Amino acid sequence: MTTVAIDSLLPKPGLSFRPKANVLLKPSRSLNCYRNPKLLFSRGACSCSFKPGRRIHVVEASSTDAAVIDTFEAFSSDDVLYKETFPVKRIEKVEGKIYIRLDQSEDQKNWQLAVGCSLPGKWILHWGVSYVGDSGSEWDQPPKDMRPPGSIPIKDYAIETPLKKLSKGDMFHEVKIELNPSSAIAAIHFVLKDEETGAWYQHRGRDFKVPLVDYLEDDGNMVGAKRGFGIWPGALGQFSNMLLKSETSQANAQSSSKESKDSKKENRQLEGFYEEQSIVKKVPMGNFVSVAVRKCSETSKNILYLETDIPGDVLVHWGVCRDDVQTWEIPAAPYPPETTVFKNKALRTQLQPKGTGNGSRASFTLDEDLVGFLFVLKLEDNTWSKFKGNDFFIPLSGATSVVGQLAQSDSVSEEISSKAYTDGIITGIRNLVSGLNSKKSQKTKTKEAQESILQEIEKLAAEAYSIFRSSITTFSEEAVLEIEAPKPAVKISSGTGTGFEILCQGFNWESHKSGRWYMELKEKASEISSLGFTVIWLPPPTESVSPEGYMPKDLYNLNSRYGTIDELKELIKSLHEVGLKVLGDVVLNHRCAHYQNQNGVWNIFGGRLDWDDRAVVGDDPHFQGRGNKSSGDNFHAAPNIDHSQEFVRKDLKEWLCWLREEIGYDGWRLDFVRGFWGGYVKDYLDASEPYFVVGEYWDSLNYTYSEMDHDQDAHRQRIVDWINATNGAGGAFDVTTKGILHSALGKCEYWRLSDQKGKPPGVVGWWPSRAVTFIENHDTGSTQGHWRFPGGKEMQGYAYILTHPGTPAVFYDHVFSHYRSEIAALISLRNRNKIHCRSTVKIVKAERDVYAAIIDDKLAMKIGPGSYEPPSGSQRWSSALEGNGYKVWELS
Amino acid sequence: MEVSVIGSSSQAKICKTELAYRDLRFCFGKNNDKSKILSRKPNSVCFESQTARFRKARLRFTLEAVHSEAVLESKSSTGSNSLDKVRLFVGLPLDTVSDCNTVNHARAIAAGLKALKLLGVEGVELPVWWGVVENEAMGKYGWSGYLAVAEMVQKADLKLHVSLCFHASRQPKIPLPKWVMQIGESQSSIFFRDRSGQHYRESLSLAVDDLAVLNGKTPIQVYHDFCASFKSAFSPFIGSTIMGISMGLGPDGELRYPSHHKPAKSDKITGIGEFQCYDLNMLNLLKQHAEANGNPLWGLGGPHDAPTYHQSPNSNNFFRDHGGSWESPYGDFFLSWYSNELISHGNRLLSLASSIFGDTAVNVYGKVPLMYSWYKTRAHPCELTAGFYNTASRDGYEAVAQMFARNSCKIILPGMDLSDAHQPHESLSSPELLLAQIRTACGKHKVQVSGQNLASGAPGSFQQIKKNMLGENVLDLFTYQRMGAHFFSPEHFPSFTEFVRSLSQPELHSDDLLAEEEEATESVHTSSDANIQMQAA
Repeated sequence: MTTVAIDSLLPKPGLSFRPKANVLLKPSRSLNCYRNPKLLFSRGACSCSFKPGRRIHVVEASSTDAAVIDTFEAFSSDDVLYKETFPVKRIEKVEGKIYIRLDQSEDQKNWQLAVGCSLPGKWILHWGVSYVGDSGSEWDQPPKDMRPPGSIPIKDYAIETPLKKLSKGDMFHEVKIELNPSSAIAAIHFVLKDEETGAWYQHRGRDFKVPLVDYLEDDGNMVGAKRGFGIWPGALGQFSNMLLKSETSQANAQSSSKESKDSKKENRQLEGFYEEQSIVKKVPMGNFVSVAVRKCSETSKNILYLETDIPGDVLVHWGVCRDDVQTWEIPAAPYPPETTVFKNKALRTQLQPKGTGNGSRASFTLDEDLVGFLFVLKLEDNTWSKFKGNDFFIPLSGATSVVGQLAQSDSVSEEISSKAYTDGIITGIRNLVSGLNSKKSQKTKTKEAQESILQEIEKLAAEAYSIFRSSITTFSEEAVLEIEAPKPAVKISSGTGTGFEILCQGFNWESHKSGRWYMELKEKASEISSLGFTVIWLPPPTESVSPEGYMPKDLYNLNSRYGTIDELKELIKSLHEVGLKVLGDVVLNHRCAHYQNQNGVWNIFGGRLDWDDRAVVGDDPHFQGRGNKSSGDNFHAAPNIDHSQEFVRKDLKEWLCWLREEIGYDGWRLDFVRGFWGGYVKDYLDASEPYFVVGEYWDSLNYTYSEMDHDQDAHRQRIVDWINATNGAGGAFDVTTKGILHSALGKCEYWRLSDQKGKPPGVVGWWPSRAVTFIENHDTGSTQGHWRFPGGKEMQGYAYILTHPGTPAVFYDHVFSHYRSEIAALISLRNRNKIHCRSTVKIVKAERDVYAAIIDDKLAMKIGPGSYEPPSGSQRWSSALEGNGYKVWELS
Repeated sequence: MEVSVIGSSSQAKICKTELAYRDLRFCFGKNNDKSKILSRKPNSVCFESQTARFRKARLRFTLEAVHSEAVLESKSSTGSNSLDKVRLFVGLPLDTVSDCNTVNHARAIAAGLKALKLLGVEGVELPVWWGVVENEAMGKYGWSGYLAVAEMVQKADLKLHVSLCFHASRQPKIPLPKWVMQIGESQSSIFFRDRSGQHYRESLSLAVDDLAVLNGKTPIQVYHDFCASFKSAFSPFIGSTIMGISMGLGPDGELRYPSHHKPAKSDKITGIGEFQCYDLNMLNLLKQHAEANGNPLWGLGGPHDAPTYHQSPNSNNFFRDHGGSWESPYGDFFLSWYSNELISHGNRLLSLASSIFGDTAVNVYGKVPLMYSWYKTRAHPCELTAGFYNTASRDGYEAVAQMFARNSCKIILPGMDLSDAHQPHESLSSPELLLAQIRTACGKHKVQVSGQNLASGAPGSFQQIKKNMLGENVLDLFTYQRMGAHFFSPEHFPSFTEFVRSLSQPELHSDDLLAEEEEATESVHTSSDANIQMQAA
């Protein structure tokens, strides 16, 4: 019999401890031990030992006969320091089968569906029917006369009928349902439920379905074959375990005879069948581990005797401790036979089968100065058995209170299990705690742990912040406004400039080709400034393996395809002269190596920063770094820098400061910041104190079946999380807004431009002062065109970002194109109305074909073919600018 | 006073014995030394451990008798007691539960709780509003929203401090229960009234405490029923998750008169406030008191020569530094009566709370305001109008502390973040001196003090809080106000994080090292694997 994956939808793993005599347990590993009168300890022995009055899981050990094994018995004398029996819970898989039989009753009129199960349990058939002509997957309650006695209706769509044993000695439980073939019932649907465990058994993750008429819709979970319908593609193949038995043919005969009787219902060619499916029930099993400690009078050592009734090979993973905190250590020899040392931390001893043939045991000789014996059990199927999730702890010094010790381990495990977001965070806290304990060798490690916790905290805080902030309660809104409002308009906050910045991307993908880009740009400096830009972003200046500059090699070599270091300095000087701030495009994520290591892998650096492979992250096999794991995504074309290394960070900070002071950059455009943790960026920004910073955190938006989701909160959340990790010290490109504009403008879905809260749906709707809005850059557009803005809609895009809060960035190709005058007009409108990165947006229309908003009560704008006019009330709006698909008004 | 003590296993016994010392004051040694509990006072007890086996026990001392309750703590927190030691709470948003009894921004709070837990914060404070729970009709309580929050807190493995708010809130708007407001419409004398006839509708006048003005019940009875209902509804949490309950004592939950109807604008210096003794029942009490004192004429109204709300002390005669009426026999008569009424009111509420919660493990707290404006004048007009007869020549807080001591309650003091340096010079205010004065009075009467901040994230506030927390007198706990958008904003949260981390001692004694941490994490991993398997089952 093959096993079909029948999902048991066990809702909770919290199985009750229910040792049961079980005739059907399959192989010899089964727990027939329960029937063995010679085995194990009385119920009393097991419950009395658990300290009354404390929070403990009460152990329902049932049906064990009182008889104690000889060896363990021997420990009941006076020299016993400790004696304890622990319950051990295991999950045992029990195989059985479900059968489904459809046949005609004796009177040949009615049909009968029988469902049975060979496993013991409190089986319930949870079932319903569907009628001919029903669509969808809804169930209906069967007619009353179909319901077997004992059925209980569940809401209005199902019936639960218990399965009963056919006779007392029978191992099958069964239920029979009478069917009237002339009724309009198209199919019977059911699942099997075991009330004992609460587990549900389904068929391929769905209901079992027994079709009674020609059920065309083959959705793969039908049971039972049909004749008369010639093609039943794959029906047999779908049920590898289906056993067509001799009854089938018999039933066939019956049905065909019926067919002839009832010729009008030609399509109701019911056919009997019999089918079996194997199921696996996970049965919680109760076993025991007993431990006794005795003082050996001759050697003054402690003898610890351990035995268990768990079948199969059992390995004790153990150690001893000398103090209260249960620090594992390996005791001195001798060890029991079949003991190995595991990773220098623990010992592993294979338990020896007991003489009686049930279970296994071992005894350990331990020095008397040890405080405790710690162990866990490793079972045959590679699962671990613990004391309520924790190590077993056996106190060895007789004077100490056994109860307290147990209670301690008890509460540990309960605490762990009671937490919703348990393990990760517990581990985290432990790491943090250990992190605070400064042991030199662990310094880096603990630092990392701390950082990851801080990172987690920051993430959570960012999440909480964004929700509190976006919730409509006036309370929090005001609180936020209070923070932002008092900032004087010209105050420069670190990394975000004045708030009135407008960014120009001063290059495209081809700019390196001339070899003298710096000089070409220098000539355009005053022109760019006169268009109203305040910040210009220059291409990556370092020596690079690729001509565009994004594969940097020697960071201090600023002679690139764009020009020499002196030309760069000259350019920056003239840009400053016309009032532009200059952003350097710095690539911190990766760096190309100068030399190969002994394996021929390029991961040794040269130049002024001659790092070795410790500066390369350790989790990219291509580059065989010896650094720590990457704190972000990996960029696979070059060695990714391990920013967790102190020396790397120190060098990078120095480099940035050098760029600031020596070369004259005012701020940074940070390449591929997905590659490393934002907390490091914060570090770099704190050191280099830039005037303006924007990071490229570019990942994919959320799509469902190639249709972009309306809700891009998760996407912008990731960007906001990054900004938060940098402590808000800089902004990030609002990739979310670009993506949404693509759909809104490209597919005429302008409704997308308002999120569920009526705010802009991009980063700009959540954290406008840190959002750098853009519609195109050298990657998305230019000659690469990885993600090009919908053609012809560029001006609508600019009408959006240049009127909205956030810091807008305009791409070089658009500045020097036929859009130039329109862009200039929008910029001057923005500047004239003093729209800044924290301006408020009131979205007044977000419909299929039009989006309109009023910004700061000074500007009104619309994009899209639909119509919108600003309100004609006390305020007088006058048209300021109009173009293809957009219009902007200002107050007159 | 709540102290964590680490000691030998025999300690449970020591704790159970009734300690005669009324002056127990434990605190931790700086280096978190496990073997010793240092005592600051010479006559206090010092526990020393004898065996190598320690257990943590938490002892609770109330003033005269010693309650003890040994709570065994887990191994994992043994390791993290550098964080445990700082008993830091954070207030949940005032509108955590709104009037339709739903939890507002539950997702944000859930994330916030996790973040706080990771930071090592001990618990959160939850304002429970009379106007939310018993809003519809008297005796009809809806606890569901708050129970849901308590469950969230429990799940996050944090402690909960509940503030029972029998007052209303302006921002966010949470009024008194509807049925109370309805009664108030026809019977405005249940509210405080000032000289000009304005009513203060955000809490009931203390003069009606024992008058059957609420559908035949007295407010005290109504508060009592409320507390009793709270106790039964939250019984699964009390003593385990809920470790403290603040009893609302008046306006903003504080023990005071609403002497400032409207808070002064932030750019203005807080005025002196006005006496609130003009509602019918207050005037009755005053009249009776005056007659009993043989001065019936003094019982006709409040001081005629007191300035109005935002005036300065010297603008009229009453509070004048020299020769003001406050120093006259009449002034003393009036101020004694006025302040005694407030203390009696506090006593009624706190004894009510202790009688209900006395048999549980929770501590009962009451909040005393920090009326620090004009503290440097002789008359302390702000404190006088608020009901604290504290002047240059009279300590008004002794009686208050005594009242708290009588009821075995702890005092919450706000304004731990305020430093004199940041006060406008002209206001003649001194939050630090006033705080010190109240804390001295509390120390005298063995009343434990826990702290709160008033503003959030103001310059220097964290340093000031730290100074108050870790200074000479150890605080029972500190509640930081309050979670919300600003709290988690990038402008504020990083400095809060830094503050919390700076509280835990960075260097620990070597024997605190969790040496087997690898093993520990490994076992956590395997157990989580086991969980996964179980889930799949």
